[in-house]
Formats: sequence, C-alpha cells, structure tokens
Amino acid sequence: MSDIKIPPGRVTPWHQTNWDWRAAGNFIGGGTGTGLLFFATLAAGSVDNYRIMALVALACIGVGLTCVWAEIGRPFRAINVYFHPQTSWMTREAIVAAPLFLCALAAVWFGGGLFVGTAALLGVLFLYCQGRILHAAKGIPAWREPKIVSLILATGFVEGAGLATMLAALLPGAGPRWLAAVLLGALILRRLAWTVYFKALEKSGLPKKAMEVLRPFGAKFEMLGQLAPEILIVIGIFYGAVLPGLTFVAGLVALAAGWWLKYTIVARAAYNQGYALPSLPVRGQGEVMPGVKPGWTK
Amino acid sequence: MARYIMTVDLRRCIGCQTCTASCRHANATPPGVQWRKVLDIESGEFPDVRRSFVPVGCMHCADPPCMHVCPSTATYQRDDGIVGIDYDICIGCGYCAVACPYQARYIVHRREFAYGDKPNQQEEARFDPKRMSVAMKCTFCSDRVDYAKEHGLTPGVDPEVTPACVNSCIAGVLAFGDREDPNSNVSQLLAENQFFRMHEELGTDPGMYYIFDKK
Amino acid sequence: MSAATAKSVRKVPQYCYQCVAGPDLLTVKVVDGVATEVEPNFAACGVHPGAGKCCVKAYGIIQKTYNPNRVLQPMKRSNPKKGRHEDPGFEPIGWDEAFEIVANKLNEVRAKGLVDEVGYPRVAASFGGGGTPTYYMGTFPAFLSAWGPVDFSFGSGQGVKCYHSEHLYGELWHRAFTVAADTPSCEYMLSFGANLEASSGVVGAWRHGQARARGLKRVQLEPHNSVTGAASAEWVPIKPKTDPAFLYGLIHVMLHEQPRTRLDVEFLRGHTGSPYLIGPNGFYLRDPATRKPLLWDLKRNAPAPFDAADAEPALEGRFTLDAIEVGADGEEWLHRNVEAETAFSRLIAHMQPYTPEWADKLCDIRPGTVRRIANEYLDHARIGETVEIEGVTLPFRPVAIALGKTVTNGWGGYECCWARTLIACLVGGLEVPGGTLGTTVRLNRPATSRQASVKMGEDGFMFYPMNPTGKDSWRKDPAVRNAHSTLVPLSANSPWSTALGPTHLAWMFRKESPKNWPKVSAPDVWFCYRTNPSISFWDTQAIVERVAEFPFIVAFAYTRDETNHMADVLLPECTDIESTQLLRVGGTKFMEQFWDHEGYVLRQPAVAPQGQSRDFTDIATELASRTGLLTEYNEAINRGAAGVVLSNHHWDFKLDPQKKHDAATIWDHACRAASAELTDGKETDGLDWYKEKGLRTRPISRLTWYLFPELKKQGIRFEMPFQERLFRIGIELGRRLHENGIDWWDTQLTEYQSLPPCKDFPGVWEKDAAAHGTLADYPFWLVTSRSMQYAWGSNVGIQLMDEVGGNLRGHGGVVINTQRARELGIAEGDLVEVRSYLKSTQGPAILRQGIRPDTLLMIGQFDHWVTPYAKDMKAPSMNGLVPMNLALTDATGSAADLVRVGVKKLEGVA
Repeated sequence: MSDIKIPPGRVTPWHQTNWDWRAAGNFIGGGTGTGLLFFATLAAGSVDNYRIMALVALACIGVGLTCVWAEIGRPFRAINVYFHPQTSWMTREAIVAAPLFLCALAAVWFGGGLFVGTAALLGVLFLYCQGRILHAAKGIPAWREPKIVSLILATGFVEGAGLATMLAALLPGAGPRWLAAVLLGALILRRLAWTVYFKALEKSGLPKKAMEVLRPFGAKFEMLGQLAPEILIVIGIFYGAVLPGLTFVAGLVALAAGWWLKYTIVARAAYNQGYALPSLPVRGQGEVMPGVKPGWTK
Repeated sequence: MARYIMTVDLRRCIGCQTCTASCRHANATPPGVQWRKVLDIESGEFPDVRRSFVPVGCMHCADPPCMHVCPSTATYQRDDGIVGIDYDICIGCGYCAVACPYQARYIVHRREFAYGDKPNQQEEARFDPKRMSVAMKCTFCSDRVDYAKEHGLTPGVDPEVTPACVNSCIAGVLAFGDREDPNSNVSQLLAENQFFRMHEELGTDPGMYYIFDKK
Repeated sequence: MSAATAKSVRKVPQYCYQCVAGPDLLTVKVVDGVATEVEPNFAACGVHPGAGKCCVKAYGIIQKTYNPNRVLQPMKRSNPKKGRHEDPGFEPIGWDEAFEIVANKLNEVRAKGLVDEVGYPRVAASFGGGGTPTYYMGTFPAFLSAWGPVDFSFGSGQGVKCYHSEHLYGELWHRAFTVAADTPSCEYMLSFGANLEASSGVVGAWRHGQARARGLKRVQLEPHNSVTGAASAEWVPIKPKTDPAFLYGLIHVMLHEQPRTRLDVEFLRGHTGSPYLIGPNGFYLRDPATRKPLLWDLKRNAPAPFDAADAEPALEGRFTLDAIEVGADGEEWLHRNVEAETAFSRLIAHMQPYTPEWADKLCDIRPGTVRRIANEYLDHARIGETVEIEGVTLPFRPVAIALGKTVTNGWGGYECCWARTLIACLVGGLEVPGGTLGTTVRLNRPATSRQASVKMGEDGFMFYPMNPTGKDSWRKDPAVRNAHSTLVPLSANSPWSTALGPTHLAWMFRKESPKNWPKVSAPDVWFCYRTNPSISFWDTQAIVERVAEFPFIVAFAYTRDETNHMADVLLPECTDIESTQLLRVGGTKFMEQFWDHEGYVLRQPAVAPQGQSRDFTDIATELASRTGLLTEYNEAINRGAAGVVLSNHHWDFKLDPQKKHDAATIWDHACRAASAELTDGKETDGLDWYKEKGLRTRPISRLTWYLFPELKKQGIRFEMPFQERLFRIGIELGRRLHENGIDWWDTQLTEYQSLPPCKDFPGVWEKDAAAHGTLADYPFWLVTSRSMQYAWGSNVGIQLMDEVGGNLRGHGGVVINTQRARELGIAEGDLVEVRSYLKSTQGPAILRQGIRPDTLLMIGQFDHWVTPYAKDMKAPSMNGLVPMNLALTDATGSAADLVRVGVKKLEGVA
C-alpha cells in the first residue's frame, strides 16, 4: 500500500491511495470464490468434481485474503481484525471467512452432506460482507452507493457461474445443460444491478473524475462484459453441439468482466469525497453567495 | 457530558497556513502530513470570482464512519466526542481512510525528512515508531484536553489546554470548546452566527462548524 | 523521546522579525536541548496587538536552525574569478583566520582613506528585508557607526519591491513611511493592490479578521484576486497601473457630482492648504511683509495670512488682491490687483476632466464602478461625527484607502499617493480615528515617535528635511553611489535616506555612468547580510555581473546563496534562536503595527549554536577590536547604536569603552538600561530577567496612533492639495542638473507638479516594451504578489514553508486566466515560457478565474540557482525579466514590479 499523502492544494476529489490492486484482488478473489462455491453445489455433478471446484473456490478466496494481508500496514497484527464485530463489516467478513473455510474443507473432506450447503451459504454471506464493506466506505462516493451491495452480489454470482461453467467444460460429468442458462440469468441480474447502480450514481452525483472512469467503462462493460457473453450463451444453447467451446468462452468472458468491473470500481473510480461549501462566507458585508462543490458532477 | 467541537469563522480566514504549520510542530508529523490544513477554493468565472479559505481536518464526527468500519477498534470515540486512534492496535488496513469523507487520515510507511534522507535533530528527537504504518489524524490535541481535566482548566480558553491550531490562528478563525455548554465560547459563536457543517448530508454529525455570516 | 519522558522542557521567549510585518512574539519549546515547537507567546497576549501570535514564517525557524545546508564554519574563496558560472571554491577556515582576512582588508582600506578617489565610501553594506536584518545583526550597526562613512547604496529590492513613493510622499504629508487604515474602527476601505493579508503580518491579519466579522467593507482593486481580494467584500479586477485613473475618478465624483456638504469643509479650510491663494506663476500668493501664504478671509473680505487666528478662510472662489509670489531660487513677483483662486478651486478645475466614465474605461472595469464606489465611500464617511479617545474628542471618519506595491512605486506612484491623501482630506479622514493613518517615520527624526517628528515648517505645513536644491546648497557630487541627495530631494538626509534613494542607480551606473556624471566605483569592501540582490532585484542577471566585479565581499552567510556565491569570505552567524538581541517594540511601526504599549523584547539562544556559528555581536566586537575601533564601537553602543541608550542623567549602564565585552555582557547592559527607561529608573533588571520574561512593556496613549491632534496643537496644516514646495524644488533641481549638463533626468523632473495630471502610466511600460519589438510580442502584463509564507526570497530554502505554501494556488507557477489559457491551448500544469524583451522564465501554468485575461502572475521570488533546496524548486520568477532603466524610473527613484511579456506553451512536462 502506498503512503497516504494528500496532494497539497487539492480541493477537487482525488483518487484514494489506500486501497490499490491488492484490495481489488480481495473483492475479485472473494467474489469469484464464493460464487463458485455456491454454483459448485449445482454444477459439480460428482463428489470429485465438487472437491476440485470447492478447492479452486477456496484458493480464490484465499488469494484475495492474502492480498489484503499484504496490503495492511501492520500485517503481524492481523488478528486484531476480529476485534470489532459490532459494526465493522471487515471484521464480519473475517469472522465469516473462518467457518467458511472450515465448512468448505469439511465438505471437500467428507464429500458432501450438510457442509456443502453450509459452505455455499457462508460464501454468500462472505460475499454480502464484501458488498457491505464497500458500502460502508463513506469517503468514496462510488462505493458508498447502497446499490453496490447488489452489484457485488450479482457479479459474484456471475463470476462463480462463469468459472463453474468453465470448469464444467473441463471436468468429465460436470455441468448440467441448464448451467449456461443459470449463467445467463446471473448475467441478466448483473446487468440489472449495474444499471440500477450507475443510474443511482448519476442521480446522486459523483466526482467528475470518477464519472469519467465509470461512464466509458460502463459502455464497454455492457457490450463486452455483458452482451457478448449473453450472446455467446444464447448461441451456445442453440449451436452448442457444433461449437462446444462457446459456453466456456462465455463463462470466461463473464468472469473476466466481473474482475474488470471490480478492479475499475475499487482501483480506478475510487475518487474521494473532496470538499464542499454549502455557502460562501460573507467577507465584511454583502449577501451570502451560493456554495461550491469543486470537482463534482452535481 | 462535554462534546468538544471546533468553530471555523470562514469570514476571517486568509489561508495563511499558520495553523497547518503549528499542527506540524505540535504533532511532529512528517513532511507532507498535515492533520490540519487550509484549502484554497476558487468559484465563479471572471470577473465574478470568489475565493474561500477553508480549514479542514478530522471533523471528530459524533457518528464517525471511520470508527464504525475499523475492524480492530483502534479508532475510538471518547465520552467528550473526540475521535482517537490507538496506535498499538491499529493494523493499518486503511479502511478508516476510505470511510472518512473528509480525507482526514494519513498512513505513512517510510520515514521522510525535511532535507534529504537524514532526520534533523528535531525530527530525530520526536520520531515515534508507533506511528509508522498505522492510521493517524488530528486528535483535537486530546492530550491537552486531558490535562485540562486534571488541572481544572478550560479547553478553548486556557492556551495550554487548547489545540495548537486554535492557539496559533492569527485571524481569530478557529475556536474550540464544549458544544454542550451553552456558555462556552463556541456555543456563543454558534448562537450569534449562521453556520454549516461540511457534508452534513452524509449523516456523520461532524464536529467542525463553519461560520459564514452573522445571524 | 516525547515531552512526557524528557528530562528538561523549556519554553523560551523570542521574537521573529524576518519580514517588515514583525515583530511577532513567540516561544520556542526546547526538549532536552532540542528545539521542537514554536508557539505564540501567550504571556504577551495582553500587550501585543496581534494577541501575542506569530505568523507562519516563524514556524520555519526550527527547520532553519537545523537545516543541514547551513554554512557552519567560516569559508574563504579559493577561486579569484567571480561570476555565476565560476565555482567559488570555498574552503573551510577557522574563525581566527577569517577575522584576520577581513580585518587586514579593512585596515588596508582604512589606511588608504575612508572615501575613494571619486569621493564614495570605500566600505559599502547591504541589508535586505526592509531593514529587518538589523534586528538580527546584534551590535554590528555599532561597528559600522565606529567605522565612519559606509555606503548603503546598493539596493536589493528597494524601489522596485517597496512602497517607495509612499515612503517619501507619505512622510512629507503625514509622517507616513507606510500607510494603514485605522482598521479597528474603519467601516469602509478601498485597497488598491495592498495585499494586507499577505504582507501586514499577524497584527494586520488579526485586526482585519476582527474588522470583517464586525462588518468592515473592503473593496480590493487588483489585477488578480490575491488572498486579500479573497478576504474582501468585493474584488475589482483593475488594469495594471491605472489605479491613478480610478482614484482621480473618485475625486471627480466627490468634487463635481456631490454637494460640498458631503465633504468635510471645515477640515479642508482649517487643516489643509486648500484655502491658500495661488498666483499666476503657480506659487502661493504671499503677504509681502511676512512672506506668509495668503488665504481669503470671508469675515473681513480681505486677504489674510494662513495663520490669522480669527480668519474665516474661503475654500473656493476667485479674489483680487496685492501679493508677492516666490518661485524657484528665490525668484519673486510682486502683483497688484492680481486675480487669484484658492488651491481648492484650482483642484476642482484640475479634476474636471476625470469623469467616472473616463476612469471606468481606462481601468477596464465594469461601467459604473467608480461612481458607485465613490458614493459608497462618502456614505460611510460620517462627516461631522466625533469620537472620544482618552478624554480627547476627535473627528470620526471610518473610511480609508490603502495602496500596495506596484501602485505606490514607479510612474503613477506619486499620483496615487497624492490622490489617496487628498481623498482622506476631502472627508477629513486623514490621521483621525477610523481613517487613513501613517504607521511610522524613517526619514524624519526621531524615529521612535511620529508626534515628536512633527515640527512647524515654512508656510504652515510640517517641516521636511529635503535635500537642498539651491544654487549653492545642491550637492553636485553625490556622497554615495545612488546619489539620493543629488537627484531625489524628497529622500531627505537621515540615516535611512541612502537605502531609500534610487538604489538601482548604483548598480546601473556601475556599468556605465550617464552623461556628465561621475564614475561609480566599486566599493573596496562590501558587507552583505540577509540580502540576496542576485535574485531579489530587477534585471537580476545584470546585478549578478555587477556583484561579481566587487573586489572584496564579506557575506554573513546562513546557507550558500546567489550573492554570497561571489563572496571572498563567508562568516556563519548564529541564527534566530541561537543568539541574543534586545529590540524596541510598541508604539506604531510598519504594517499595521499599532500598539497600546511600548517596551523591549528579547531574542535569546534557545539552543546551542550549530557548528561554529557565532553570535553576531561577538563577530562585531572582534572586528572592532582587530580594526582598532573598539573604543568607538563601545561608545556607539553606549550612545544607542544597539537599540538602547545605555545612560542618561538618571542611570548609567555604559560599557567600559576600552574593554572587549562578550555578547551576554553587552546585552545585559542594554537590558538594564531598557528596564530603567521603561520604569523611570525604578527597575534595573538585566539579561537574566528578560531571558525568563521575554519582554517588558508599559502602556502608552492610543492618541499616538493619530497625528491630527499633534498638528492641530501646533497649528500645522496638512500640505494638501497644492504642492507648491514640490513644484519649486522640481524647477530648482532641473536648473541645477541642466547647469551641469545633465538632461537624462528630465523625464523624472516632470513629476514635480503642484496638481499632478493623470498620465498614460501603462503606456510607460508599453512603450518600453514596444521599443524592443512590437507590443503584440508582449501582450500580457506580468505582476507579482507577496505571500505570507515567504519573506520575499529569504526563506525559500525552508521545506515547511514550501510545503504549506503549496496549499495555496499560485506558488511555483505562472498564474493565467482560465479562458485566456484555453484560447492559447494551455492547460493546467503545462510548461510555459514567459518572455520579456530582456529574458525568459519557465514554469507550470496555473489556471485561475481570478486574474485578468491580460495579466500573468508569479508569486514570490524563486530564481535561485545556488541556494540549497530553493534551487531545486524550478519555480518561475519575474525578477530577471524586469528591465532596469531610466525610462521606468520615476522621480523618487523607484520603478514598479511590472513588465510586459509574452507567453507560450513549451513541450514537456513542468
């Protein structure tokens, strides 16, 4: 993590310097891993396949958490992350992470049973915590928008479904035929979540520079990250027999788009609040002048 | 119970940065780390231009998002409203920094010096390793407020128990005191003048009150 | 180590006088011998008019002390060649060798004679910062006093970076070396580029902050929206150098559009020269017997001397009378039945053409502004109201006008100062509560009291020590190199006069003397301290070349810099918190320093000296000893050369003149004398007492803020509006110069007008630029501005100042109007080159709405190429771009910090 140095003389929002690609890595790994853990229950088709999928999911989550550990200033005090379950979603995420790993490993070990479902549900809870972590970051307008929670959940599911689809294509006996339809459904949900999220930002206002990142990103994301995999899936449904790799590619694109989305939101659009004056001061005599909010869209 | 707040009379501020410099001294922050600073904000278009100077820093919110998000409880709120950080607990995750809508928090990982790669005598004498790689910010000079309690002094009135920035202010911009005491200097100022608080819509209930006109 | 675990924690009282806005009072916290924090001196809260606070610059003192770039031992030059591109090859030496080198040179010079073959002092000295280095150089002034004639001609900012015309005309008209509003009670103020929030220090900031909260309306007229404009109720973006037009427009409205009842007619009649009658040759009509100027007595319907006790003077009108007129060089005219007007009637006619519409257009501001502001000014003037101060009833006129640099210096400075003082007189607001006040005196004596400097002169106005212009008394051969006594009668003949002369002439004429002018020799020895003309003056590359020609330079050096780059010896003196000095404070002083107390404050060693640096007083003593001047030096100290007279009839703390005294002993004597002075001999506390307490003061009357009561007491009138005296000396000076074949000062002679007309002042700079190309090549005005974080260029090597200064937009770049920049394809941060016909400079573009489209701004002085830290800032500076020539020099010997430039975007990143 880079030093937190506030640029001198800045009054317009600037990009936060506290969470970089490593933080994005946690959201990427966590979302993909928990999503996969969830869809592994549906897509595995066999205990062995489930084991592979679950281990891949845990690896994703683990890599994400390692990224966070690598980012904190005092890594050897990491245990202190557990001290504040009352209000901190980061603590809650950490708390969920432990049983999540235990349950998932138990599910892998025992090859099924209650642990599989519990692990999937804990994964969803973990993913929800991640959404709430961003939402609670009041200093970053692109994060604190409440609709970000559903977006994080939606993209987590897409990424999980996408990766599950990819793995299903590689693992014998895995992946029911309707998995592609599930992925399509998740994509539609994500499209909806993104649209609702972005419209909410437009309505509430955003630092101009954050908007300059998100608006062009959104246009590309909707085409490449949403429409493209959606079309691939539809084609795959009809022509899958002729072009067997289509759903694999669709899964890959959906997954990559989710990572792209989170990297963009966490590491590129994270402009801070900046400063604002609701009224300008009266200097001696005169009328109160309307205020100013430098660097904002509204 | 007291709630310590700061009032900022924007009518008076001239952007001289004396508070910035005095805070750097009082809190021995390294180069570039300004717990208190004054912004220079221009608005309007030529020739109808206004320029405002706005002291900012930690607002010591009554509902501080930094505290809520802190996973380690390093960020805490005292009974008197001052928001502090326990450097021995903080893990330096930076979550508080992104949660703060006032950009008030700093984390420094490398020692930096005014000149070159060696500390001067002042920097060496005042180096505190506890502050490395943890979050830090304005404390409202809480050690002085504590001293006031022990010695029967009044923060905001007696200079030895008043935040350094307030003491240093050369234009009478900054005042400090107890919002709960209707007779305090800050309560009087707020009773006589119009004020706002920054980003109040975010629900943080900030403890810096910006005076912009008389009532 | 924290303060909680420290063995020793002390708070050491100090003062800061790094710029003219001081002194600020402060304490330095010292923990186990290390200075850690600067704080206001809370103990002085009740006596200091800025509540005992210190400005941001004082917080740089700790880094200044521990700056690793300091020169910490004496050095001598090893490379005999001097110049910007010559490595001086400084070699460390011991103090003994350093003293030996300097003393040998001084003794050698002394043996040759104190003045050279041309007649100039062989020893010269330059101190920057408006004289503030004196407050850090201990007893060095006593050494210079003991030495004999010393030439202070070589300026390092004077004229071009000061309120030059204001200093001279201000002292003439109301003992106002600088001018300030009576801010605590003022209600309406016009500020023409007076950047008070940057330059009037803690006291100014404190007083104006209070005033704004109270409701003072201040209108800032300036080409860019400075910090002062920001803190004002209104910013009027006036075109550079058109301030006289605006002021004249105000006067027109007051005289031609408003009834006389809106003016203070009684003040004009009784306390100014308005009723004086003017003869056909442009001089006062005088009583043939007494030679006193005449006015028209309405009571008797007859002429009467100006001081006739029961006369009722006519303010306006034409009258017929018998009188004499006395012109230049004693020329006289006897008039019979001559028709004459009062000075005020002349003024009315004179101001007739200057309509507000004319002024709005010339100033390039919104139509209607001049008239509106003139009327607002009158609305707030409270004509006829009084206020009681300490039992004395005084007029209350809460309106004032302040003028800033570039307004009060260079062409147009006279007209601005005249118009400002006149407007104050029109409403009776000069030197009265709420109005326009002088701060201190420098050219008149005693410097400690404006009131005491007021003496009845000729014609009912204050005495002023003009340099003579008579046939026999004019000083044909200049005594010093800038020739102030020869060319500038107004610069007077006090110890400060040389430094307030046309100091750039010394540099200019060093290169080439003009026609029929003596050669300007280089001084044999030049002392410089806290001054850096190589970067701080105008046409700085020429200054560097001249400095390099000086054969022997002794620089008291804090760090290496662009001027001591040419030095022969560097002497490291203890800096601000390492040495001792006692300073007189209180009363009234520069830059809004209006106290209700007076006394003395101590600067003392808070920490041990770094390296081998020495207390300046000890350096001065050693130099005096080695040059055989110890007795004279000690006697100078005894007389008060170190700021305190050590003895009088009631006490005697004189030093033994024969002995060498260390700094502590000298200042102990000074402290004892100061204690005695402040307590009428009751107390004699010495250095230890001041070390603990920091300062000693006593209350004084607030009436010392106002000069009007003193003039009234002595029956003296303000010399307004008619400038007969200046008109006369202008003619005489012209004759003297022409008699000696000097015609290159003729343009300057045109300034000596009794009622100055408004001229095309911007045209002076436009023509100068056009002479070196076309004006289209230089479409912008380049101006500069003070910043509170920087004491001119002298503390730019302090990281903390650089850091906190960065919070304000404008430092370190070229400020340009946003729309204009876009038209030129310039974006924020683009590297741009700004070029005058002389030179160019580069820096990043800073786009702001708050600047005129035809103006560029470079704040501060950042042209360093040697000074550590500062040289790496790569910030642009206008100092090298401003041409130094006679065409831009006004009659007082000053020019404005202003130049026409072009700007272009460069490739690359700033």
